[in-house]
Amino acid sequence: MNKLATYTLVLAFCVGAYYAAVAAEKTTEPAKEEAAQAAPAEAAKEPVVCFESRKGASEITQREIQPGWPNVKCSPTTGAALWYGDPFDGTVPMGKMPLLDKIPEGHALVKPRSEKLAILPMCGTACHNGVGPAFSPPKLPKDKKAVPIPTMEGLLPEVKDLQHGRGRIWCLDCHHTTQRNKLVDHYGDPISFDQPQLLCGKCHGDKLRDWRDGIHGKRIGEWASTGKKRWFTCTECHNPHNVQDGARNKGFVQLQPEPPPQLPMGMKDGKHEKLHPIAH
Amino acid sequence: MAVNDKSPAVQGKAEVPENSAPPASADPSKAVLKTSRRDFLRGGGMLSLSSLMGTAALMSHSSDARAAIEWAEHFQKNYRLMTPEEKNEARIRLEKRYSAEYGKTVTVDTTEAQPGVLMGYALNVRKCIGCRRCVKACVAENNQTRGTRPGERIEWIQVLRMERGEFSKEKMDHGYPEGLGIQVGGNAYTPAGQVLEGQYHYEPEAVPEKDATYMPIACMQCEKPPCVKVCPVRTTYREADGPVVIDYNWCIGCRMCMGACPYWARRINVANPVLPKEEMNPVTHYLGNRPRMRGVVEKCHWCLQRTRQGRYPACVEVCPVGARKFGNLLDPESEVSLILARKNVFRLKAELNTFPKFFYFYD
Ligand code: HEC
Ligand code: HEC
Ligand code: HEC
Repeated sequence: MNKLATYTLVLAFCVGAYYAAVAAEKTTEPAKEEAAQAAPAEAAKEPVVCFESRKGASEITQREIQPGWPNVKCSPTTGAALWYGDPFDGTVPMGKMPLLDKIPEGHALVKPRSEKLAILPMCGTACHNGVGPAFSPPKLPKDKKAVPIPTMEGLLPEVKDLQHGRGRIWCLDCHHTTQRNKLVDHYGDPISFDQPQLLCGKCHGDKLRDWRDGIHGKRIGEWASTGKKRWFTCTECHNPHNVQDGARNKGFVQLQPEPPPQLPMGMKDGKHEKLHPIAH
Repeated sequence: MAVNDKSPAVQGKAEVPENSAPPASADPSKAVLKTSRRDFLRGGGMLSLSSLMGTAALMSHSSDARAAIEWAEHFQKNYRLMTPEEKNEARIRLEKRYSAEYGKTVTVDTTEAQPGVLMGYALNVRKCIGCRRCVKACVAENNQTRGTRPGERIEWIQVLRMERGEFSKEKMDHGYPEGLGIQVGGNAYTPAGQVLEGQYHYEPEAVPEKDATYMPIACMQCEKPPCVKVCPVRTTYREADGPVVIDYNWCIGCRMCMGACPYWARRINVANPVLPKEEMNPVTHYLGNRPRMRGVVEKCHWCLQRTRQGRYPACVEVCPVGARKFGNLLDPESEVSLILARKNVFRLKAELNTFPKFFYFYD
């Protein structure tokens, strides 16, 4: 529902823009909304949607690849993806990556992040489009403190209080100054949103190395070191705007757990586990 | 009916002089067997009795076709001693039976261990958030019983919740001999993190909890498995590529292995397994996730039906934090080899000399 609201908001912003890309976006949007409205009428057929690592940012829609063989099985309790019928469903080649050139062609796959980002298609067109006095030359705060923009914060509330870097990094350490549909590397060159590892790796080199070797993050598919794998990119697990949060003790957002195992025969709850076997 | 003389083990025995002891081998065709289970039972004068009882039971309540299949199954050899032809027969027989039973095409793979592969596993205890997705993925993949009544629900992975360490000033001078007590430190009996004194039935709204760490445990696929040592019918054994497997058809349900396992990894089907047709995973392996019967023991086998075909185990694929790692220990480029080379690694209860191929690590 949240996403729909975002879409509608974005749509409202797009109306003012003249770009062909935006026009194309507009023609698809109403169709999507119609579909969403028609959905409740045939509730029985409503597709099962579950999520991988990040709730709200890594959703998969269940469908049958072969009769009786779904692309993914989902937990009825938590809506988590619990089993992959096809680990490569919806993936594209990762693209060139430093030191991963030994992997055979087509064996390193990723799910493109840009497909999941609702605002991204408008960033560089509707708002940060280079048109207007603020852009020639671009006026950026010298102290690197983000100027609160109500529109931006309305679209993406989490940027109001950026929880990354403990106040020592800001938006344009990650986002490209003039091409807002791109991330940025140390040389100021653009990086695709589908290759966030190149961005994160510029500051978290140790994690990038472990990720490259399959130790940090996750890969699914074939286990042989030269096998065909889907690699999870950094932002499939980490929300870059919110990696630090005092309320939790890990860099990973809290999730609802799956139900516990069956209780031992005759027991009504698991309280016995909390008792120390030896009296104090 | 299978005849023992044809089995590779017996041929092997004929070639090896009685008193030279070759090194133990995971390959049964190279092993020296002094007595087979059949001889053992025959020696005890049990064969006729147990077989006849079983046969009578089979004939009395089944349709003829099914009885014929079960009859053949009943007299089938220990899987390890079967010839490739016999394995194939068993495969076809099982595929027919399961397909009819579950109303879909069920395959029973019999792929053997591949040369040059020794499977290994590593788990990052620092990352685990205790979400139990691995537990449920394992059930979706491995056809465990999932009923509601006691004993009808089996899960192979257990996730242990452990309280974080806690030491308090108030207790500093407690614990000196009180009554007949033995002197202990004042903060004894308070959780200190990494002790096996945890909870399996935790149920918070969200994990990870601030005051807890989590430790998943399943079969460690020991290189020196105590369960294999105690099995009186040698139906559980270590495969050449690493996993410890069970030929369910030869399991007599004595539970010796359950008692021997220091990792609480083995489960017994005390009730008739409950496995709904639509939830049944039709891609199976003979030594892996094929449906089990009442009275047999089962456990994790690293998803043999997947891993022998090159695919990651189911638990590895669903872990949302990427804490679970699997690969070939003989390949220096594999993720487990790199973890062993680079990270701080430990084996659970290493002092028992079971030599697990399941490693815990942290970064
Ligand atoms: C640590 C690097 C980093 C910083 C700092 C950062 N971002 Fe981002 N931002 C990203 C990445 C990476 C993505 C893509 C997220 C994904 O793939 O889920 C993104 C996505 C976005 C999006 C698109 C979201 C969507 O759902 O379409 C917006 C808008 C955005 N950032 C705005 C900001 C603003 C405003 C700031 C400063 C307050 C900021 N970002 C700071 C890395 C960063
Ligand atoms: C411009 C440099 C920079 C970039 C780019 C960057 N980070 Fe960070 N990151 C930091 C800093 C600085 C910290 C804060 C470390 C601290 O003080 O605890 C941090 C902290 C983190 C943490 C939390 C560490 C912890 O345990 O508290 C995570 C997770 C993280 N970053 C992930 C990412 C990901 C994912 C990306 C890519 C989308 C990324 N970072 C890109 C600089 C960066
Ligand atoms: C499969 C999910 C996943 C992926 C993919 C992933 N991470 Fe992480 N990352 C985690 C988890 C879980 C933690 C541990 C959080 C904790 O313990 O605090 C973590 C921790 C971190 C930390 C904090 C440092 C630390 O040791 O706690 C950084 C920095 C980080 N990741 C960066 C990255 C970068 C860069 C990438 C991409 C190259 C990436 N991560 C990909 C799950 C992931």
